[in-house]
Amino acid sequence: MVGSVNIDEKISSVKFFVDEEYPHLRIKDEKVCLKCNEKPCLNFCPAGVYRLTEEGSILISYQACLECGSCRIGCPFENIIWSYPRGGFGVNYKFG
Amino acid sequence: MSDFSFDVVIVGGGPAGLACGIHLAKKGVKVLLIERGRFCGGKNLFGGVIYSESLKEIVPEFPKVDPFPAERPVTEEGYFIVSKEGVVKILHTKKTPEESFTALRAKFDNWLSEYALKKGVFIAPKTKVVDFLWKGSQITGVVLDRPKSFQDDRPTEISAKLVILAEGVNRVLTEKAGLVYGPFKPEEVVLAVKEVLQLPKGAMEVRLGVSENKGLAVEIIGEITSGLPGTGFLYTNKTTLSFGVGIFLKTLVDLNLKPYELHEKAKEHSIFKELFQGAETLEYGAHLIPEWGIKGLPKLYGNGVLVIGDSAGLVNPLFREGTNLAIYSGLMAADTAFSALEKGDFSAKTLKTYEDRFKESYIYKDLILLKDLKEFLFRNSHFFSIYPDMLYQSLSLYFSAQGRYKRDVIREIFGIIRKKRGLFGVLKDFLNIGRLFW
Ligand SMILES: Cc1cc2nc3c(=O)[nH]c(=O)nc-3n(C[C@H](O)[C@H](O)[C@H](O)COP(=O)(O)OP(=O)(O)OC[C@H]3O[C@@H](n4cnc5c(N)ncnc54)[C@H](O)[C@@H]3O)c2cc1C
Ligand code: SF4
Ligand code: SF4
Repeated sequence: MVGSVNIDEKISSVKFFVDEEYPHLRIKDEKVCLKCNEKPCLNFCPAGVYRLTEEGSILISYQACLECGSCRIGCPFENIIWSYPRGGFGVNYKFG
Repeated sequence: MSDFSFDVVIVGGGPAGLACGIHLAKKGVKVLLIERGRFCGGKNLFGGVIYSESLKEIVPEFPKVDPFPAERPVTEEGYFIVSKEGVVKILHTKKTPEESFTALRAKFDNWLSEYALKKGVFIAPKTKVVDFLWKGSQITGVVLDRPKSFQDDRPTEISAKLVILAEGVNRVLTEKAGLVYGPFKPEEVVLAVKEVLQLPKGAMEVRLGVSENKGLAVEIIGEITSGLPGTGFLYTNKTTLSFGVGIFLKTLVDLNLKPYELHEKAKEHSIFKELFQGAETLEYGAHLIPEWGIKGLPKLYGNGVLVIGDSAGLVNPLFREGTNLAIYSGLMAADTAFSALEKGDFSAKTLKTYEDRFKESYIYKDLILLKDLKEFLFRNSHFFSIYPDMLYQSLSLYFSAQGRYKRDVIREIFGIIRKKRGLFGVLKDFLNIGRLFW
């Protein structure tokens, strides 16, 4: 396997119109995450939106979300409240 | 009272929604297309290849259009079967390169939306549909994520005789309309990540042997996905390359893998390393491909509503079809909408003609043909790991056989096959493939 890939660098190639007022992704219940051993969201999200804090909770940097929809169904505990950003906000591909 | 009123409201400005809108506007129908992106295409990403035949159904003057929305004609098409050590390439030079073109969706969809505007489709970008208006069990319009006005914070409502859902793979509204029971599952979608790569000037032409007006479209299997069920792809654009990998979301979740690490690993495989030497990533992105197939097909119609394109799951992963099926379904829905308007009846009973037509089409028949493909691939993941290795090693022996007694060479090749899969295993695999389609 290649050494860890810097996802932030990849994301910096993408243009976003960040909605500073409304995060469009949320954790339903933080306690569920604490009990989730595998924490697959840290890995399958293609934008690295889900990060682990030092205290072991999940931090969501929704600003980098590519709106693919994977976490809507990929979280085994259905613990993510998912929606698209408000109209006009979020990812804005130049090529796509 | 709603704020605006249209005959037909289409949700989503991808190929499905745009095709449907264009077809209706040409017939004089008052149609509004709502797109959440800043422009049509801004949210969309694919491989990819567009098929001219489907495009001509809505833009008959294609390819005589200016500006030209596509990148390069596909003159060479095929497969790279990648093993750990090398690659076996199957490439076919096309007799009819005008059949298909590579494209980039931000540009292509935007172009198509400009065409739609000219044909009379009203387009509302930067606007998300969040809910429906209902009258009993009949959908009678949509609710937007925009306030009515500066003075009135309540959401804008738009009434429509008919709402057509072209919202793409994440079929949230289709679910809300009650046409499908719950979200799809991780084994029913492929997550693809892709980069648009810029090579040093002139390098693409030299390294891939494509001159101006020639283009390459390649599907890649084997080590490209680290031997997991899925595929990679490589397409030539005008001045850039599109390179990506797609893997079932379930595999990523189960094995706790990062899709961009698989992508990066693929880029660094010895057979691609040289190709991508000095490449700059102009853009990274990700998108799901709906592969729930016939078994997960939503109900395609309801009272006052129809579903088209990816929202219905109309893709054929084996033949790289998606945009064309989106377009055809959009056209079929438009025809149904038009007859419903003539009749003045938008009940499910009338709208069922869309499903009837769909069932007569090759799209439906193909979905039935491929109904067991996904399970087959999960059950037979060795097609992505063992076979590429076996093929490469066998051909390595075959092509370096000079100076040896050929019977020994052939024996050695059989030895490899026996060791990797067993002659009986190979026979079984071929029978199983046969059984899948017959
Ligand atoms: C990696 C990859 C490679 C592919 N390669 C090919 C290929 O080579 N050839 C091919 O033919 N097909 C290919 N496909 C498939 C093809 O991209 C899709 O089948 C096609 O785009 C479907 O069109 P659509 O209009 O149904 O959906 P989409 O193109 O997804 O459009 C849906 C639109 O709806 C909008 N929307 C969603 N929700 C809302 C809302 N609530 N309000 C307002 N707007 C909304 C979205 O922003 C989007 O613009 C590929 C797909 C992927 C992911
Ligand atoms: S996978 Fe779901 S439950 Fe587990 S850590 Fe992530 S969000 Fe929490
Ligand atoms: S929608 Fe996709 S990109 Fe956005 S957070 Fe979820 S998995 Fe990550």
